[in-house]
Amino acid sequence: MIFTTDFFFSMLRITAPILLATLAAVIGEKAGVSNIGLEGIMMISALFGSLSAYWMGSWAVGVLVALLVGILVSLLMGFFAFNLRTDIILTGIAVNMIGSGGTLFLVKVITNATEGKALASTTSLITKNLQIPSWNIPLLKDIPVVGNILSGHCILTYLSFLLVFLTWVLLYKTPMGLNLRSVGENPNAAASVGVSVLKMKYIAICLGGALSGLGGSFMSMYYAMGWSQDMVAGRGFIALAAQAMGAGEPLGAMLAALVFGFAQALGIKVSSRGVDSNLVSPIPYLVTILGLVVFAIVARWRVRRQHSAAALQEKSSAAK
Amino acid sequence: MNKRRSLIFSVVRGAAAIAIALIVATLLIFASTNGAGLSERIADTVGSLRQLLVGPVFRNNGTISTKNLCDVLASMIPIVFTGLATCVMFSANQFNLGAEGGIMLGAFVTAMVAIYAPLPAGILPVVAVLVGAAAVAAMMLIPAVLKAKLGVSEMVNSLMLNYVVMYLIKYLMNTFLADKSKGQVQSYTFQDKALLPQLVDNGSKLSWGFVVAIAFVVLTALFMYRTRWGYAIRMIGINQDFAMYSGMKVAGIVILSQVLGGMLAGMGGGLEMLGRYSAYDWMSLPGYGWTGITVAILAGNNPAFVPLAAFFMAYLDKGCSLMSTYANVPSQLIDIIQAVIFLFFAAEQFLARYRQKLVVRSAEEELKEKEAQAAAAEGSVK
Repeated sequence: MIFTTDFFFSMLRITAPILLATLAAVIGEKAGVSNIGLEGIMMISALFGSLSAYWMGSWAVGVLVALLVGILVSLLMGFFAFNLRTDIILTGIAVNMIGSGGTLFLVKVITNATEGKALASTTSLITKNLQIPSWNIPLLKDIPVVGNILSGHCILTYLSFLLVFLTWVLLYKTPMGLNLRSVGENPNAAASVGVSVLKMKYIAICLGGALSGLGGSFMSMYYAMGWSQDMVAGRGFIALAAQAMGAGEPLGAMLAALVFGFAQALGIKVSSRGVDSNLVSPIPYLVTILGLVVFAIVARWRVRRQHSAAALQEKSSAAK
Repeated sequence: MNKRRSLIFSVVRGAAAIAIALIVATLLIFASTNGAGLSERIADTVGSLRQLLVGPVFRNNGTISTKNLCDVLASMIPIVFTGLATCVMFSANQFNLGAEGGIMLGAFVTAMVAIYAPLPAGILPVVAVLVGAAAVAAMMLIPAVLKAKLGVSEMVNSLMLNYVVMYLIKYLMNTFLADKSKGQVQSYTFQDKALLPQLVDNGSKLSWGFVVAIAFVVLTALFMYRTRWGYAIRMIGINQDFAMYSGMKVAGIVILSQVLGGMLAGMGGGLEMLGRYSAYDWMSLPGYGWTGITVAILAGNNPAFVPLAAFFMAYLDKGCSLMSTYANVPSQLIDIIQAVIFLFFAAEQFLARYRQKLVVRSAEEELKEKEAQAAAAEGSVK
């Protein structure tokens, strides 16, 4: 029996950080900002989140710092990408370089200064009581099956699903969302009616930074105990794929993120039965490629049908 | 702006980017020293900087160390190839980031051929490297064809492939190919006849792979600037719609650029293996793909400048590792330096005011010249 309540519980747990980064990608793409540095932002904020949680003895401070570091890094990215006109993709690659090797440098130097010895990870610093707490939902937790799956998650997990709705509200029900989307669709048109393109792009990249910062804190302060090198392991990249598969909409992207959560949970389950984990670990990445292909084929097919329907209609109205 | 001025501008701009990166590096080195007082820390910083900037080539007494220089040249080989691969792909505006997985796959396949293929000396290394290159070219077909036919982002797909390649190689190594008598996971040793002959016999592992690398720099430069395929690749990078309307087969060229990129990356991996290793032991992505992207950016996507950029990066890398043994500075500093240089080099608007000034000055001079000519012409009419 693979699909136990435990399985679905861990699927939601695995989905949460991917979902946070996916929402960052959704907001970015809506405003025409292809941020591929999400991976690096998650790594950097995971590091600083776990360090400051340890220093201040509070998980809340850690989450807040991770969020702020995410915003700070994305401001820096924005400065290079929008003001100095570095290609946004290259800016993202640079942030990812800092995220993979640079963070290891930083953690060694910082712990050498504060702890007296250079640590290559912060796993020894984060203890159980510095973990982001989970929440047993009253009433719901007593319902069999559903309660086991939905109750008892980290509060950031609940927040990430709530944020799907909030992102939708932001994009479609607020004036700022309209401006963000208009900048993404046609910056010249947006500028001509007085929308500041630069400001909107900065807002989009900073919201993305905040969201992936949260994702980073989830990784180092709940998913794993403490920061270690390459711990984000491509989740920032998977988020880009989930954004594309979800057609750039918050709800669709959430479903795509859940698919990855499912694939990875399945992988963990299968490898616990003795299958080599190296054979199971590539599954989420393969699912990404497959998902993108299926999405592209479906999108083409839909466009073709629309066109042929429109052509038929044109013809019948012309015949009259 | 005339040619001389635009050359001056690029040199000044590059120097400024490197200077900023070195300032950042100095600050970080200073932060990581743990001397007692300020003066001690400054002395430490200066010592570390000396290792970083001078160490890779000069000994402490000021003489040139051939061994270190050869080390730097040897470590150029893989990043010259990933740099060339990135040049070709980025020239076509294909943001394929698969050189990282590509060089790992190329190294792995070449290593397997070098261990198991019963081929005579002389032919074996050539076949091994070519098979490795072909394997990566085939791998790149996946993102390339999906991009050309379905419009799927080659960037996301190539990133995903990097992970798939890494895990599959780890799986194959762990399960079937590892030499169980060794403490760490590594393959059996290569057949002796597969190893590349060394250029210099001083233990630096500078093999003939270096000569091959330089030859491929020339070939790639000729291909990109002297053949119609190279022209087509650059043209779809500049303006894909224009290329399409002028009758180029865009889909084919999109695929060609990425397959060529894969071939180059795979070849780099193969030469690196046969030149510097005696058994395959890469169990994680080696990072050469990302350095290759930096190299391509520094070279302005022009293959001819790739060796220079690769030398620079190999030099800094060596400097960082020397520094980490000399002082308490972790060698991963290289990643931060690399990112800073990268960001400023790729920044179009960096020093834009200075360029503006140069343009204005050129225009003024031209105007004066014309006026002088006009005056002279008037004078001759009178």
